[in-house]
Amino acid sequence: MNLMWLKFALQNTLRNRRRSLVTVAIAALGTASILLAGGFALFTYESLAEASARESGHLVLGQPDHFTREEDTPLQWGLDHAAELRTRLMAEPEVRAVLPRVAFSGLISNGDKSVVMVGLGVEPDAEFSVKGPFLTVKAGAVLGSGASAPEVMLGEPLARNIKATPGSSVTLLASTTDGALNAMDVTVKAVFSTGIPEVDKRLIYTDITTAQNLLNTRKVSSLGVFLSRMEHTPTLQQRLAAANPALTVQTWEEQAVFYRAVRDLYNRIFGALGLIIAVIVVFVVTNAMSMAVIERTREIGTLRALGTLPHQLLTTLSLEGMVLGGVGGVLGAAIAMAVSVTLLLMPIDMPPPPGRSVGYPLNITLDPLMVLVTLLTMVALTMLASAWVARKTVNLSVVDALAHT
Amino acid sequence: MAPSTSDAVVELHGAYKTYRLGAHVIPALQGVDLSVQRGELLALTGPSGSGKSTLLNLCGLIDTPDRGSIVLGGQVVDGLSEVQRTLLRRDALGFVFQSFNLVPVMTVAENVDYPLFIAGVPTAERRQRVAAQLEAVGLQDHALHRPDALSGGQRQRVAIARALVKRPKLVIADEPTASLDSHTADQVLLLMRERGHAEGAAFVIATHDSRLTGRCDRVLTLQDGKLISNR
Repeated sequence: MNLMWLKFALQNTLRNRRRSLVTVAIAALGTASILLAGGFALFTYESLAEASARESGHLVLGQPDHFTREEDTPLQWGLDHAAELRTRLMAEPEVRAVLPRVAFSGLISNGDKSVVMVGLGVEPDAEFSVKGPFLTVKAGAVLGSGASAPEVMLGEPLARNIKATPGSSVTLLASTTDGALNAMDVTVKAVFSTGIPEVDKRLIYTDITTAQNLLNTRKVSSLGVFLSRMEHTPTLQQRLAAANPALTVQTWEEQAVFYRAVRDLYNRIFGALGLIIAVIVVFVVTNAMSMAVIERTREIGTLRALGTLPHQLLTTLSLEGMVLGGVGGVLGAAIAMAVSVTLLLMPIDMPPPPGRSVGYPLNITLDPLMVLVTLLTMVALTMLASAWVARKTVNLSVVDALAHT
Repeated sequence: MAPSTSDAVVELHGAYKTYRLGAHVIPALQGVDLSVQRGELLALTGPSGSGKSTLLNLCGLIDTPDRGSIVLGGQVVDGLSEVQRTLLRRDALGFVFQSFNLVPVMTVAENVDYPLFIAGVPTAERRQRVAAQLEAVGLQDHALHRPDALSGGQRQRVAIARALVKRPKLVIADEPTASLDSHTADQVLLLMRERGHAEGAAFVIATHDSRLTGRCDRVLTLQDGKLISNR
């Protein structure tokens, strides 16, 4: 493409500066809106992904039926020889930690009142050091390994329900793996909140040995595998699945129902929003270029008379659209970046989403690929819109074009 | 069809052209024969609606006759596609319009350069030829000005330079002096004559201006689409 056509296009965009300015402004706002909405969605996905992976591990190993069927007895689909499997997993270079987990349910009682509880037996030191602060301790201290007596941490609403505080003695009641009922007295070590009230109403944490003793087993429900980098998840999943054909290896994403639901919902919402914005921008550019082309019909006729081919005129008119869309797009990207940086420097907290008790910071993630795709799409749309409105006029008969007033 | 004369830049043989305005059919040209010689300054006169502009459009290949034949530089152009006619205009024809029709966003030099640019002439040669044309029309000091900074006469001189920069065989001029005062019109006409002779280009000029017709080599008079005088 000869640069003179581009120069001609640039000069033409300056003919009616006000109109060009409005068009560029709309393109800029449209681009900024798409990037900010997309960036918010991306930040949400990244945060949820990180939280999901932190909760379960990047990979989860268990018996196949553990993931697909309901248990008739506790740990019916549990893992034997978990220690040996754990040692083998830790030998993989990508693996940072392997955390066993025992999931159980039953009743918790303060002697007067019994309520349903859902329990997780974990290795406290490893769990809290690998996963970081994934819950907020409201009272007391987190569980530690090597306690002399069995201890539990209770969700805040659960603790309130049975009037338990750190130091209180409560009783856990659950079925064992062979179907008998078992009870165990434990001491409340802490009261916590996960930020999800419905979960906190039932959830208790205890160390894995206490849970196994309660259920009369040495099995674990599953092993959570934590990697040094999330990007290693798919390759390691394939390798572990091949090495352990009798087990199922699920990724964090397969475990993260909430993440997938949010992602699907946001993709639809922001996808529709992006489409609406793109349509508006195309309409504005089409309108501006329509007026420009109509105003220049006689000039187009002159250029045709001088020997300019229609496709050459289409090229320069498309370039005009490209300039308007390109400048607007770049400006919009700059606006989005400025907003993103501003939010980092002056954080705004979003209200808690449904089902949660804690808000989160409003951040925008501007992925370079997303910015590039948005910019290129904006440029392509404005070029196409310009070519579309110009095609009839550039193919008008020269006599008719010259006669246009 | 009469045989082509060797020095003829453009020839029309039995050209007919009609226009439709709703239900009305208007005969713009009725069997016109025309031959324009190399370097000739030919005036087309006649009352409004006599067919002058139509005849110019046919000579300039921006319209096609309903019947009849056009020969440009020895080449029969009947049946050529629009693209082929566009390329012929690009290479062989120049245009001067009543309202100058300069591109307002381009400088004087860029306006004159434009026909060479679309013809793919190398940049160095373009610069040299543009400079020569601007000097020939006395506008070398205005090369970087935009058309809106020029007078009517200066703009028409730019248009003449633009028409001649590609060394065309034929220049079509439709009422080139109609927007100019008499003194400027005189100067423009002299310029067209002088530049036409210098470049070897024939001019076909549609005009009402009797001062202009007096300075042309030949005057054709049209009435109701027919050639009634050729002197």
